[in-house]
Amino acid sequence: MIHVRQLTKYYPDLQRGKIFALDGVSFDALPGQIYGLLGPNGAGKTTVLRILSTVLRPSGGTASVNGCDVVTQPSLVRHQIGFMSANTAVYDRMTAWEMVEYFGRLYGIAAEPLRQRMEDLFTRLQMNEIRDVLGAKMSTGMKQKVSIARAIVHDPPVLIFDEATSGLDVLVARALLRTVAELRDNGKCIVFSTHIMREAEKLCDQIAIMHRGHILAEGTLDELRQRHEERDLEELFFRLIHSHDETHELEASRP
Amino acid sequence: MNWSNVKLIFLREFRDQLRDRRTLFMIAVLPLLLYPLMGMSFFQITQFMREQAIRVLVIGAPESSELPPLIETNRFAANLFTGPKNADLLQLTVRPPEAEGKQDSVEQARSDMLSGNYEVVVYFPPNFAQQFARFRQSLIQTPGGQPQPGGKAPDVTISSVEVYPNLAKDASKAAYRRVSDVLDRWREAIGRQNLEDSHVPASAAKPFEIDTLDVAEEGQHKAALWSKVLPFVLLIWALTGAFYPAIDLCAGEKERGTLETLLSSPAERIEIVWGKLLTIMLFSMATAILNLASMAITGSFVLSQLPNLGPPPGLAIVWLLVALVPVSALFSALCLALAAFARSTKEGQYYLMPLMLITMPLTMLPMAPGVELNLGNSLIPITGVVLLLRSMLEGNYVAALPYIPLVVAVTLCCCWLAIRWATNQFNTESVLFRESERWGVGLWVKHLLRDREATPNFAEAMFCGLLILMIKFFLGFAVRAPEGVDDFIVLASVTQLVVVLTPALFMTIMLTRSPVQTLLLRRPPWFAPIAAVLLAVALHPTVNLLQSVIMRVYPLNEQLAEALHRMESGFSDNLWPMLLVVAVLPAICEELAFRGFILSGFRRLGHKWTAIVLSSIFFGATHAIFQQSLVALLVGVVIGFLAIQSGSLLPGVLFHIVHNSMALIVQQVTPALAEDQHWLHWLMRDATGDGPLYRWPVVVCSLLASAVILVWFHKLPYDRTPEESLQEAIEHQSPHWLPG
Repeated sequence: MIHVRQLTKYYPDLQRGKIFALDGVSFDALPGQIYGLLGPNGAGKTTVLRILSTVLRPSGGTASVNGCDVVTQPSLVRHQIGFMSANTAVYDRMTAWEMVEYFGRLYGIAAEPLRQRMEDLFTRLQMNEIRDVLGAKMSTGMKQKVSIARAIVHDPPVLIFDEATSGLDVLVARALLRTVAELRDNGKCIVFSTHIMREAEKLCDQIAIMHRGHILAEGTLDELRQRHEERDLEELFFRLIHSHDETHELEASRP
Repeated sequence: MNWSNVKLIFLREFRDQLRDRRTLFMIAVLPLLLYPLMGMSFFQITQFMREQAIRVLVIGAPESSELPPLIETNRFAANLFTGPKNADLLQLTVRPPEAEGKQDSVEQARSDMLSGNYEVVVYFPPNFAQQFARFRQSLIQTPGGQPQPGGKAPDVTISSVEVYPNLAKDASKAAYRRVSDVLDRWREAIGRQNLEDSHVPASAAKPFEIDTLDVAEEGQHKAALWSKVLPFVLLIWALTGAFYPAIDLCAGEKERGTLETLLSSPAERIEIVWGKLLTIMLFSMATAILNLASMAITGSFVLSQLPNLGPPPGLAIVWLLVALVPVSALFSALCLALAAFARSTKEGQYYLMPLMLITMPLTMLPMAPGVELNLGNSLIPITGVVLLLRSMLEGNYVAALPYIPLVVAVTLCCCWLAIRWATNQFNTESVLFRESERWGVGLWVKHLLRDREATPNFAEAMFCGLLILMIKFFLGFAVRAPEGVDDFIVLASVTQLVVVLTPALFMTIMLTRSPVQTLLLRRPPWFAPIAAVLLAVALHPTVNLLQSVIMRVYPLNEQLAEALHRMESGFSDNLWPMLLVVAVLPAICEELAFRGFILSGFRRLGHKWTAIVLSSIFFGATHAIFQQSLVALLVGVVIGFLAIQSGSLLPGVLFHIVHNSMALIVQQVTPALAEDQHWLHWLMRDATGDGPLYRWPVVVCSLLASAVILVWFHKLPYDRTPEESLQEAIEHQSPHWLPG
């Protein structure tokens, strides 16, 4: 469903030349699976997901979503994904209903099927009481619901969640994770990035540990535990990152 | 582009703006309040100003029965004013001269003026009345009062009356004007009285009247005034009305985090740009119209109080609305591009000032006296529109007609460039996700040299083009115009080598990794050079016709035409050196610069035709005479096309050499040659004054042959830059494909 091969992304920097945000990242995510990107801040998770959502263009490598290339067929890619991140806010001066309807129309859904789909969504996500509330008046949890409804209104085969639970309280976060799991059970291909171990453990079928633009380890939770002989994901995570940083510093100190 | 998406985005942005109180206030409420308030304060101020009397100090006013009355009970005599009430406006203080003499009086007057007690001081010399009496005596010498025929003027002089205003102060200046008028009329009255006493009819001094009969038809004054005021008001509000929504719709969205939501939706960048552009344009036009309407309503009340000025003619409103569309489009696109560049609304506000600094002079320029619609002015964006609008408002339709296509073309071109720029901003990640970074000149130069790419980028190409224009501009001041052929040869060579070639070569070497790729120094397909030469020959009759049409529609000014003619008359004697300087040298230098460095840079945008047109605009602008620039612009498009299609600079160079040579030869050699070579008459006819022209069948054949060759070039498989390939791929994906 999603194929990422040797993806690199660098930014020109006046002082240091090229800064690599991604340095040869490859992975595959399949339908009916949640692929988790686990990494600290600045690991490159957001960059990967922005490239997958065609907001950014890679400097090298390829990525395709459902057979469409993100660079040459960005419009096709955008039709097949729902993208939700901490950076995709809701409009202040639009009500929940208007906002979801607007994006539904942009996806090319006709008026009547869209209305039915939205009625269904609003009921499922328990959003009927905020139908006519303006974005500016909503709580963070309400906004998050609207964002989810906006991302899945066109029933896309691929969903991308970038740090979707950041800033949410436990109750809202829990509800969101439940929705994501439901979507997976409906056969969606989901990429989910987070820096919270518990979320990755509970939710993800495949986990990739990212650090400094590299994937350090990849596999199911059990595979990772076995391969690195460590039961605790947090410990495992720290060990991988620590050893990567050490080799990195060693390389840098060589003449 | 999917227009239903554009409509969706437009409707959403429109509703969004209507729900924003600040925007509504700026666009709807402010104009409705502003003008009535301004009108009210205008009346308040005029009332205040009318009640302000002007204080005048008169020192040593002469009292004599021989003089006509000047002062009547602390006022100047009423008959010295045009209106009876005007006498009240001047409040007099009459003071006898100081005993110590003039010096003291003047000193006293000055200190009084400086302390603000008086606006003007009038000083009569102490013995004014006596001097005048003696003057009259000498005037009326002979018994019976008859002056001696052929006699001399009386030998008595009267000392001057001195008026002391403070011309640095407006109030004093106005007072001075009124007092001078009064004194003038008084002096005239004395003159009349003298003539009467000397038994000379008053008409001797004023044998006839001068009647001023204004031929301007009724309404023309009004039109002239309105034609200066209305375009200005319209433009300022169109700009203001575009700016604030633009900032809110772009920088505001970035700030609120909704831009990324929109960018990850299926809407294409160009659809987003059009949707936002139409919204901004609507608000820009609405602001301008509301302001005009509100101004008209308030104005009609104010104007009814003022003589000689009525409301603007009805047709003017129609023209204003017609002109508003392109102007709003241009401003909206500019504001959109700037706003897309801004990181936050605060940063966006900073750009208002530079934008105003650029557009204000362009709007004010037409208000300067003597600036008329002509070829040069009509090519200036905005200024051209204002001048055209003014001609329309004044009813000079015939004079305005030739400039309509030019102004429309320039405005459309600017709009198109601004929209392209805005779209480009939405495609540029560094603009969308800009973060502050440490910047220093040294670091930046190092970065330019260290991280250079195979070909220059857009900004470098733009800079090169502007640099060439700037050097040319300053060289124009430093060097005097050529007088003879030798002068011309030197100047033309220096211009090509220093102004055009040097910046391009220097930047190629410093800023690119592959000069070969940048300057297209590659071997073309074997037939391309021959095809280019054939095209230059085939196209010549058409270009020749075009040139003469341009010259007829926009004639050269006489001075310039004469100077050119004088210089050209020497060309035929120096044909070979002239060919070198006019054809070969420019072909090499200009091609390396405009189709080499600059075109390569512009191609990084990914749009072949945008790159060709942009590079041609620079190519056209480097030509000294506007009429030449127009032709050069079109020729530049052809050469740019040849360069890209053949992947080599050579065909363009050859085309350029042949094209320039033929222009020179036809102009110089043909008239003389045609005397004994009769076959030339089959090709050409001599259009008097404009040089030889080709016969119509030749022009038609020329067009057909050129089209065939251009199609051949079009079919060449050209080398795309990575950006062009990408754009092509993106354009060829079917955007309406839906899953399931």
